[in-house]
Amino acid sequence: MKLLGAVLILIAGTMIGFQQAARYADRPRQLRQLAHALQRLETEIGYGHTPLPEALERTANASAGPVASIFRETAEWLWKPEGHSFQECWERAVKANWIDTSMKGNEQSVMLRLGSTLGISDKEDQMKHLRMALTQLKAEEDAARDEQGKYEKMWKSLGALLAVLIIILML
Amino acid sequence: MMLSHVAHLLPLEMKKLLESLPAEVKGTLEEIRIRENRPLEIAYRDGFRFIAPDGAMKLQADGAFKPTAEHCRKLLERITNYSLYAMEEELRRGYITVSGGHRIGLAGRTILDGGVVRGIRDIGGFNIRIAREVIGAASHLLPKLMDAAKATIGSTLLLAPPQQGKTTLIRDIARSLSYGLAGGLNRAAQAGKKVGIVDERSEIAACVRGIPTFDIGPRTDVMDACPKAEGMMMLLRSMSPEVLIVDEIGRQEDADAIREASHAGVSVVATAHAYDIQDALARPELYKLIKEGAFSHIVELRRSADGIMHRIINAGALQPQAAKREHSTGASALSLAGMGRGRNEEL
Repeated sequence: MKLLGAVLILIAGTMIGFQQAARYADRPRQLRQLAHALQRLETEIGYGHTPLPEALERTANASAGPVASIFRETAEWLWKPEGHSFQECWERAVKANWIDTSMKGNEQSVMLRLGSTLGISDKEDQMKHLRMALTQLKAEEDAARDEQGKYEKMWKSLGALLAVLIIILML
Repeated sequence: MMLSHVAHLLPLEMKKLLESLPAEVKGTLEEIRIRENRPLEIAYRDGFRFIAPDGAMKLQADGAFKPTAEHCRKLLERITNYSLYAMEEELRRGYITVSGGHRIGLAGRTILDGGVVRGIRDIGGFNIRIAREVIGAASHLLPKLMDAAKATIGSTLLLAPPQQGKTTLIRDIARSLSYGLAGGLNRAAQAGKKVGIVDERSEIAACVRGIPTFDIGPRTDVMDACPKAEGMMMLLRSMSPEVLIVDEIGRQEDADAIREASHAGVSVVATAHAYDIQDALARPELYKLIKEGAFSHIVELRRSADGIMHRIINAGALQPQAAKREHSTGASALSLAGMGRGRNEEL
């Protein structure tokens, strides 16, 4: 009986550790996806003169996972007749999908700031804001990679080790 | 219901407010004027009114509903499809045409580039002009303008002050000629004509991304947002039109292009801002064109309670008078021969 409990604790601890490690691995990957999506948006706006709802749809189709959902949901909100402003739609979509990502508050505020500028100025201005957001995301991505290097491996073993510690204490 | 054509563009609060207006006001709505932090104004059949927050219509501005910066921003987002950056050309011109042909005039701070207006920013004033397409507006007038011998419309100049229905009328002329509804006289005239429209201000065909949103007929080609003189020459070269339709002529280049068209045997239907024929003759380019016989008919338009009134002046009768003007000006055109009076169907 004791042995079974110990095994369960060990499994649980290892899984928690791996999950934490995965968060560190996912964050730079998702930041990269987000940056790609914004680059795509920049192209649509700067060179294609595509209207924003359509540009968002196309960006969503070219990306995957929660990043795609942010763009798709914003576009869906815009089509609705309630008359929400773009900023409201964007905020709603960003916040609703953020829980499904491994990204943190810093990049969320970059995205929310971007939402207050998209669509309401001329082309040069739009490009400037998108580039600024991209630079900020790049900085976050670099930081996230550093953290990944530092903590990913640590968490992988730490979970199992903690479980072993608990088991020893319980014995 | 005129309001329902543009209601989807308005912020929710403003939409509800305007929808609470009496049905006849909504049905004859012509303009909605929205100025940031200033009273909301509408224009309809009986003139202009300010709108109070409870939906009451007033002649005085105090106590009226004032659209906020938030309202204006939402409105701007809606009319630009959340894409101001794709509207550079429209902002340079100062208005945006939306689907349905409605035109939204914009006022704000202009951006200059080497002394030339490059666009508008800080937009704080909107004038939503609700376009009305009146199918059959020209049905009374058109048969009188047909040239039986050539089985086509004679070149015509329509004169009226602004807001009298000129554009509505030439749009229907384009449609009728293109469908071949104008005939009546003989079989040849009943065939649809190739019509070319130069739509400098996007009012006649109201193109959105190059596609006309009004019914202007199956054989009609449109040069959208194109300078008139250049557009006429382009159409003459490329689309071999039988009839050219152009709004608000008056400059030297316009006159040259019209001459070019009439040499090529193309009928031109043009409008000009003028109160009446004397007013038109006082403008040098129009005077020259009329004198040269570039137009076979000149039509004065007036909007009355019953619809658009028209008076056709036979240009042939004008030419001696025009020549006489070189010596003495101010002769009365009201005594001209070939005068006809007709009334169109109610708008």
